[in-house]
Amino acid sequence: MELPALALLVFGVALAEPVSRLLARARWPGRDPVGALLLWQAIGLAGGLALLGAGLIYGLAPLGAPPAALDAALAELGAGRLPALRVPHVVALVLTAALALRLLGVLVAVTVRTLRGRARHRELLDLLATPWPAAPGARVLEHPVPVAYCLPGLRSRLVVSAGVLDCLDVDQVWAVLAHERTHLRERHDLVVLPFVAWGATAPFVRGMVCAQFAVATLIEMRADDVAVRQASPQQLSGALAAMGGVAPAAALSSFTAALHRRLARIVEPPAPLPLALRALVRLVAAVLVAVPLLAVLG
Amino acid sequence: MTVVPTLGELERAVMDALWSADAAVTARDVQDALAGRELATTTVLTVLGRLERKGLVTRERTGRAHRYRATAGRADHVAELMRDALDATPDRGAALARFLGSIPDDERAALRDLLD
Repeated sequence: MELPALALLVFGVALAEPVSRLLARARWPGRDPVGALLLWQAIGLAGGLALLGAGLIYGLAPLGAPPAALDAALAELGAGRLPALRVPHVVALVLTAALALRLLGVLVAVTVRTLRGRARHRELLDLLATPWPAAPGARVLEHPVPVAYCLPGLRSRLVVSAGVLDCLDVDQVWAVLAHERTHLRERHDLVVLPFVAWGATAPFVRGMVCAQFAVATLIEMRADDVAVRQASPQQLSGALAAMGGVAPAAALSSFTAALHRRLARIVEPPAPLPLALRALVRLVAAVLVAVPLLAVLG
Repeated sequence: MTVVPTLGELERAVMDALWSADAAVTARDVQDALAGRELATTTVLTVLGRLERKGLVTRERTGRAHRYRATAGRADHVAELMRDALDATPDRGAALARFLGSIPDDERAALRDLLD
């Protein structure tokens, strides 16, 4: 039973470190942002499941393979007996439980903090921002610094500062709003959330930080792609250039420093990945998640 | 047919009244300031209570009357929202530079004095 556990451990560590780093550095995600986002979700999920699965398989090894081993262990405990496990197995199980609790705890904490911050922000917005008649749903905040952002959630808000209206023409504002609306409609905040949480769980793992940054960049690319289809590349790039590139979302915490690369991509978009490669990316994502699931559930 | 204002609208109106008042005011003063809306005293008290729970309004007691004031000015709250929005940007330096660029010259001098 040690070999499958070891293989799963290596698989999980590989996803968290070299694979994340390689994908963060790869250039093809710019040609298929949606596929790359799916792959990132799969890597995050599979990495976590693999590490937990490895601990579970190793810890329960004396009782057989999971899921039967898990039933056996629970039956023993239910009967008031301690399962026949030696120290290394118990240590593995304790570490696994600790990791699971930590991952879950950080996810809950990050979610609660995000929701609280958003609720507070929305309360103030509703008191301070005035509706902008030119675009239904958009609100204007009286401030000279040009900022456009969205506040995601069930009661989402779309905000532009007065500075935006001063430095952009109406078509450019529309392009920026189309970008922000894509964040809201596709719930990019939820796409980013687990990576913010994993980044907070293990900030010392460089791969995690790379992942967080790469995912943030990808959602901006995706929103650009949609906005360009609704407005025009010139309007969007002109707007972003005029605003100095600070158009990301407040509560969404997007952060893309590479404004120039972003503008170049809007004006001269790279060719989309061929259909076969797009399909391959999605297949790889599915397989990544299936590996730890099959290993644990049999 | 009368249009029933939403709670949000009333909150905005009450905050505007508090922001334009120089000192702490009573619910009655707020009611008078919003005379055009013909609000019941209980409505004004309800809205003030909600705003107090949100931390936007403080209440103090002078004699038998409660007096209300805004905890911070309008501009302070706008600045808080802008800070939130700009905090999310990758390049705080650039965001700050843009922010400073938007400050008029005379205020910039005042800011420099404050920093020195």
